[in-house]
Amino acid sequence: MKFSAIALALAAALAATPAAAQGGDTKAELAKLKPKDFPTEPIEFTVVYPAGGGMDVTGRLLAKTVEKVSGDRIIVNNRTGGAGMVGHTYLATQAKPDGYTVGVIANLMWGDAMLRAQNRWAYTDLEPIGYINSDALIWIGSTEGPYKGMSVKQIVQTAKDKPNTVRIATVPGSMWDYIVDQIEANFGAKFLRVPFQGGGAGITALIGGNVDIAQGFYSEFRGHLEAGKVAPLGVAAPDRMDFLKDMPTMNEALGGNEYQWIIIRFAVVPKGTQADRKAYLGAAVQAAMKDPELIAEYKKAGVYFDSKLTNPATMLQNLNAYATREKEFYQKTGRLK
Amino acid sequence: MDAINGLMHGFGVILTLQNLYLCLLGSLIGTLVGVLPGVGPMAALALLLPVTFTLQPVGGMVMLASIFYGAMYGGSTTSILLNIPGEAASVVTCLDGHKLARQGRAGAALGIAALGSFFAGTLGVIIMTFFAPAIAALAIRFGPPENFGLMVLGLVCTLYMITGSPVKGVLMIALGFLCAAIGLDVVNGRERFTFGSVDLSAGIELLAVVIGLFGVSEVLSNVETMAKSTLVSDKIRGLWPTLDDWRQSWKPMLRGSGLGFVLGLVPGGGPVTASFMSYALERRVSDTPERFGEGAIEGVAGPESANNAAVAGSLIPVLSLGIPGNPVTALLLGALVIHGIQPGPLFVTQRPDLFWGIVASMYVGNVFLLLLNLPLVGLWAQLLRIPYRVLFPVVLLLSVIGTYSANKNVFDLWVMLGFGIAGYVLRKLEYDLAPFVIAFVLAPMLEQSMRQSLAMSADGAMIFFQRPGTALLLAASAVLVALMFRRKRKTEGGMP
Amino acid sequence: MFERALNAFWIALGAAAAAYAWTLGVMGPSGPDSGLFPLIASIIIAGSGVALMLQRSSLAPSPDFPRGAALWRVGGVIAGLALFAIGIPYLGFAITGAITMLILLRTVEQSSWAMSVLLAIASVIAVVWLFGHLLGMPLPRGPWGF
Repeated sequence: MKFSAIALALAAALAATPAAAQGGDTKAELAKLKPKDFPTEPIEFTVVYPAGGGMDVTGRLLAKTVEKVSGDRIIVNNRTGGAGMVGHTYLATQAKPDGYTVGVIANLMWGDAMLRAQNRWAYTDLEPIGYINSDALIWIGSTEGPYKGMSVKQIVQTAKDKPNTVRIATVPGSMWDYIVDQIEANFGAKFLRVPFQGGGAGITALIGGNVDIAQGFYSEFRGHLEAGKVAPLGVAAPDRMDFLKDMPTMNEALGGNEYQWIIIRFAVVPKGTQADRKAYLGAAVQAAMKDPELIAEYKKAGVYFDSKLTNPATMLQNLNAYATREKEFYQKTGRLK
Repeated sequence: MDAINGLMHGFGVILTLQNLYLCLLGSLIGTLVGVLPGVGPMAALALLLPVTFTLQPVGGMVMLASIFYGAMYGGSTTSILLNIPGEAASVVTCLDGHKLARQGRAGAALGIAALGSFFAGTLGVIIMTFFAPAIAALAIRFGPPENFGLMVLGLVCTLYMITGSPVKGVLMIALGFLCAAIGLDVVNGRERFTFGSVDLSAGIELLAVVIGLFGVSEVLSNVETMAKSTLVSDKIRGLWPTLDDWRQSWKPMLRGSGLGFVLGLVPGGGPVTASFMSYALERRVSDTPERFGEGAIEGVAGPESANNAAVAGSLIPVLSLGIPGNPVTALLLGALVIHGIQPGPLFVTQRPDLFWGIVASMYVGNVFLLLLNLPLVGLWAQLLRIPYRVLFPVVLLLSVIGTYSANKNVFDLWVMLGFGIAGYVLRKLEYDLAPFVIAFVLAPMLEQSMRQSLAMSADGAMIFFQRPGTALLLAASAVLVALMFRRKRKTEGGMP
Repeated sequence: MFERALNAFWIALGAAAAAYAWTLGVMGPSGPDSGLFPLIASIIIAGSGVALMLQRSSLAPSPDFPRGAALWRVGGVIAGLALFAIGIPYLGFAITGAITMLILLRTVEQSSWAMSVLLAIASVIAVVWLFGHLLGMPLPRGPWGF
């Protein structure tokens, strides 16, 4: 509790100055951008993962704040199925590009577009209008059992010396799996990969002693960390996390620079949305992202803000760079021809 | 006594006018969404989540929890009256509940459903009050191998459910497995039987299947003979359960509560599985299994108790460990996070007001729900006096909207229509539809748990025998199969 | 006759699904692959079809399928639901619902025009109010905004 109070105070202090100065301005500016005939009915925020998950909470908090800064009514709608594929396809191919549909999605959409969409749609069919936040994949171990107290390096070594003994929870065909691919290829290790449908189920299995290593986001295991049930081993991000300074990055722990697996959350509209409506929606999302309360809420969930993306002017360019980087990974590993 | 103190503290927290009002409101909404087909607790919770933003965390969580268990009360209503399940956990209630309604005994079925729900819900909260942390620690160790054992046991119970031709029954089970395979492979994310269709890649929606198989095919059968008959026999016999109904129901309620509670606890279980398993169990232990499917009150009492007990069971890992076992509890977890509360093992000690407040509210909520639902029994039963010719277009409208609201995908309507026609034809040919639905529900979990177990095992299938829980469940399944063959030989031997 | 055709269908379905499941791969490096479960299910379906085919035909039920007016009513309901699925993306829920109800009431149920219109509109309004308004469910809208 104390911890979150500090985080909250910190976040508020960080965010307060610019936002307080801009508070009135952003609203006025937003009103200037508002098209005459829009919106006349509620705007639908589409979340492609089930209600209650990290993505859903992100979307609902954003919707709440966008409602506050713009005064427009927002409905959050979960279009789920096929691990996000159904919702992504809906947004890219079926949703009307009239400004009433906004997708709150993550970069997992790129993988769907590149590997599974079979040319029915491409990631460029969804145009980013605002960056939300980033969340890095973290390896966690149990504080009980044979691997307690081991570092990432030691665990990888064990998986090499005694192949097929270390059990790791993964989500097949996604970054949970790719990072294990990288490590196995680089070190000649072999893990027992136990497939789950999401990161949360893997953490449950870790606490139940059914796997040895789980991978997840800070918000997913924070409660268990505070209770001393799990130990963070390494984060797949370029830098250490502010709230877990002692935890090394995977790059530090294993020596390399390719162990970066990050969820980037952003808002999109379907391609072809009228320019004025798109600009207005983008401004509304960006204005919401300056709200100190929202930033504090997000920080509490353990996410961080990528400085390359927080600036609207360079956001698109840098997002595309990330997408290209992911594409290269798929090409290099033979997943994409 | 810690638990007693805690509970007293909890009552102190929720016995305010506002919190009681929110509990009542949640019960009302829960009953409503339970009654309305398609809109289950999941959809209702997602829709009402924003409303609770403005409330205090205690009030908000009390309301959301009461919607969850309230839906289990209401869910049986349309199952019994119209053969359209109100939500997935009430699918099996259609089988005997609707038969009872057609025999003019809708009141008895509805009454037993409400009382069973109350009984199981209250029993579940009592167990929760005293043993929550201990049970949660045990349940969490339940891993893929144990789940596999449980699913095998469930499948064996399904074999007992087959009526009529055993070959046709087995065929329907296999067909359920095949239909469940459509979509993304849960284990490795590969597409199966999708033929490039995005709609199929999401898999076939359970609600579309059951509303089609039970609701639409029922309408088709009824309109065919509409000239001759109305929905129910002219005389509605008794609006209340008789003493006889009671005698037959109390044991199933007790068994259903126990089974439901355990299934709610374990990761991956929940009200839906609980209700199916309870039906299969009741049929297995009954002296007169042939009555099942023809209007056996036990077939209502067991599953309706089981799904309520499962709600109480599934709240334990969420509240005491922060671990959700099914989508609805995952949503409750999300709600806590949005309210700025960190769920986890420390939740009970850090926020005793919230934990005990929710527990206390469940005692109150169950009483509210009983008082709310019992008077409705008479009203609902009267609904069947409406001539079917007026009722059936409304039934179709509800089927369509119920199916559509699950995923907001028009494709599901085609699935519903397809299964409606298939159900209509197959019933004419004396195929049993219940084993199909149960196999359809169990198949993904059976497959996933088996493949997960083998993936986490260093020495292959031996894992099933190394884990005592799994070995026990598999042994029980083997005994049941052996008993089935013995019984069959007996009946065959008895024939001249 | 119909029974036999259905049995043949089960055999064909089982065989086709089994062939497809085989292409998914039956055993992988870490145990069963995607194809194993569907393959087993398909083989059981085809096998059951064969078993049913071999049963004495006197055991097979001879269903009476609807004729005349009854067939008309059953067909009407199926057509109505199909119309629903086709119309929703273009006309929205309310309009499609009202039209379908009207047609069903007129053909299947053969109530009077006035009664049909009244019932159709009343039930659609009730359902849209309950789901769309009270529960805040986003129902598909037509070109006229409802």
